[in-house]
Amino acid sequence: MTTPIRATQRSVAATTLAGLQGNLTRLAGLQQQLSTGRLISQPSDSPGGTAAAMQIRDDISQMRQYVRNADDGKAWLGTVDTALTGSVTQLQQARNLVLQGMSAGSADSPAGREAIALQIDNVRGALFGLANTMHVGRPIFGGTTAAGAAYEADGTYLGDSGSVQRTVAANTRVRVDASGPATFGDGPGNVFDLLSQISADLRSNPANLGARLDELDTVMQRFQAAEADAGARYNQLDLLGQTASDRITTLQSQQSQLEDIDLPLTITELQLQQTAYQAALSATAKVIQPSLVDFLR
Amino acid sequence: MVSTFSGLGATLSSLFAHRAAMDATGQNVANANTDGYSRQRVVMQSVGGNTVPAMFSTWTGVGAGVTVSSVQRYRDAFLDSQARIQHAQGSYLDGLNSVYGQIQQLLNEPTDTGIQSQLSAFWSSWQDVTNSPGDLAARSALVQTGVTLATGLNAAHQGLASMWSNVRDQLTSAVNEVNNLAGQVADLNQSVVRANQAGLPSNELADQRDRMVMRLSELTGAAAQPQTDGSLTVTIGGSALVSGATSRQLVVGGGQSLEQSSSVPVSLRWSDTGAGVAVSSGMVAARMETLNATVPGYSASFDQVAAVLAQTVNDQHQAGYDLNGNQGEPFFTGDSAASIAVAFRDPALVAASAQPGGNLDGGNADAIAGLAGISGGADLTYRNLVAGIGAAAQSTQQRASIQTTLVTNADAAVTGASGVNLDEEMTNLILYQRGYEAAARVMATVDSVLDTLINHTGVG
Repeated sequence: MTTPIRATQRSVAATTLAGLQGNLTRLAGLQQQLSTGRLISQPSDSPGGTAAAMQIRDDISQMRQYVRNADDGKAWLGTVDTALTGSVTQLQQARNLVLQGMSAGSADSPAGREAIALQIDNVRGALFGLANTMHVGRPIFGGTTAAGAAYEADGTYLGDSGSVQRTVAANTRVRVDASGPATFGDGPGNVFDLLSQISADLRSNPANLGARLDELDTVMQRFQAAEADAGARYNQLDLLGQTASDRITTLQSQQSQLEDIDLPLTITELQLQQTAYQAALSATAKVIQPSLVDFLR
Repeated sequence: MVSTFSGLGATLSSLFAHRAAMDATGQNVANANTDGYSRQRVVMQSVGGNTVPAMFSTWTGVGAGVTVSSVQRYRDAFLDSQARIQHAQGSYLDGLNSVYGQIQQLLNEPTDTGIQSQLSAFWSSWQDVTNSPGDLAARSALVQTGVTLATGLNAAHQGLASMWSNVRDQLTSAVNEVNNLAGQVADLNQSVVRANQAGLPSNELADQRDRMVMRLSELTGAAAQPQTDGSLTVTIGGSALVSGATSRQLVVGGGQSLEQSSSVPVSLRWSDTGAGVAVSSGMVAARMETLNATVPGYSASFDQVAAVLAQTVNDQHQAGYDLNGNQGEPFFTGDSAASIAVAFRDPALVAASAQPGGNLDGGNADAIAGLAGISGGADLTYRNLVAGIGAAAQSTQQRASIQTTLVTNADAAVTGASGVNLDEEMTNLILYQRGYEAAARVMATVDSVLDTLINHTGVG
């Protein structure tokens, strides 16, 4: 504020008022920051900061979604894991039964083999139930099928070749189901046919059981591989979900740095501004009041 | 020979002159706080002898008193024109600043409710559909967030459009005010010229005229040139608005709505010649810029956000298959912020699957969710728009705040030249009072001398 060559009461009042106004505006700005707790309340407060803040909000929302996706995927893979572990247990039991059927004691007794064959039929039933395991209304071994089951009772695969995937990081998709054809099989050689054949062989052709045992071992290896794969994918999801979750914390602190005020700094500035304002007020009160009129008697 | 009573006449003229000077001081003190008042000073002139010698004129060498030659109004034409320029620029920037303030309120960023958040929620909903492609609830939620987003863009456009109409109305009323003021300034010009010719006081009329011209400058950036006859010529962009006792009128033409403004820009013309008026500062210039550049520009940017959103989502959506196994339809209709809308309400029509045949694949929904971060996508376009508005608003704010200081300084300079200083008036008052008292003393002395002459000479 420059002082004009000739000052008048009115011009002094006007310039003083403008100065006080500026003081009060700055005070109001600081007070707004303090009461809202925000450094950026509109884009013009910091155009670059606004764009960054919006980007961070977007990223946080994306990361939250990744965490949700990972949690959802882990639930899927948990179900897959349980089903596969159950299947392996069942197959293990089938293998024991076959060995039992091949052993000397039962090999000669048709009645004993019939009993074992019945147990094998039970194992087949249990595996059928496991193959049609559902997660939130969808068969986990059925790919993306809209049908309510992955396998028909006769062992026909009802699912499709699609897979259920979850996006858990930018451009990173993890499969959260397990392939029915790659475990239980599709068409000839599926695990249900194999067990039916074992059951038939037990009843009528025990000599063939040795070859069946080899086939059963191959199937079991398939299941074990799938189980290990599901476990690895579960770990991957867990890790990526945790990464996204950690990222949220980092992003939130970045957002806070961008948008939120530095409390001690702002309070100090407010104090300084208040002192300046009060000084201006008291100086104004001294300057504005007197004129020659006060001294003429 | 000196006339016996000539001393009394000269003293009387001094009493008159000092009374007049005290009256002027009184007028100044009375108007110490009147906006636009210029201080006045009585100009006294001593009365001398005859300038033309004549045969029978006698002259003793002593003057015949004092006379009030004029009442002068203190005004600096240069400072006035400076103040007018600064005020014009100030109100121009204030006008722009308030527009940016409104646009920023409209944006409501960065918050958890702005369009950016709606976009984020929209993309998240696609991921939810990816996770549960068969879940009608997730699909309905997606359609709803789509509707919310489209409505958000519609509202942004609506906000800009109603703002445009408001500013259009303000421009019309500002131009009406300009036309009114121009007429009044012309009338005052005539009054001042006549008063000057008749030797009547015209200072208060001139003050009133200056105030009006200042308002004209604030509105249109008008400049004024004083003429020798006492009138003021007011020009806008070099063309005369008021010249002597005649004034011209402005008319606003062009589009009546934001939609029309792109094809028919708002124009400001002289009503008599139809020629365009070049306004570069003042409130009217701010309004014109808002109507023809600022608001249509940002409206086009919002349209671009909507167009990019509709284009990218529709392209990907049509590449997928809905719950019934059919090829996807466009998700959005419309390609501008005003017209964008979700094309359907049936959640089954969301093409989440990348494979035909009505399965529960979520591949296409995932692909659409992935559109969130692509370069040139709706998010980035929108963020650029917000950052652009923020930068423009910030620079306007800073310019306006600097201009406020310049306006205050210019005003201080004008008040410095023409304002009333009470100390000065008091000093003058004492001066005139003493002058009056001294004149009265002279008169008493002359009276006493005459008393000696008339009553005591040659008596008894």
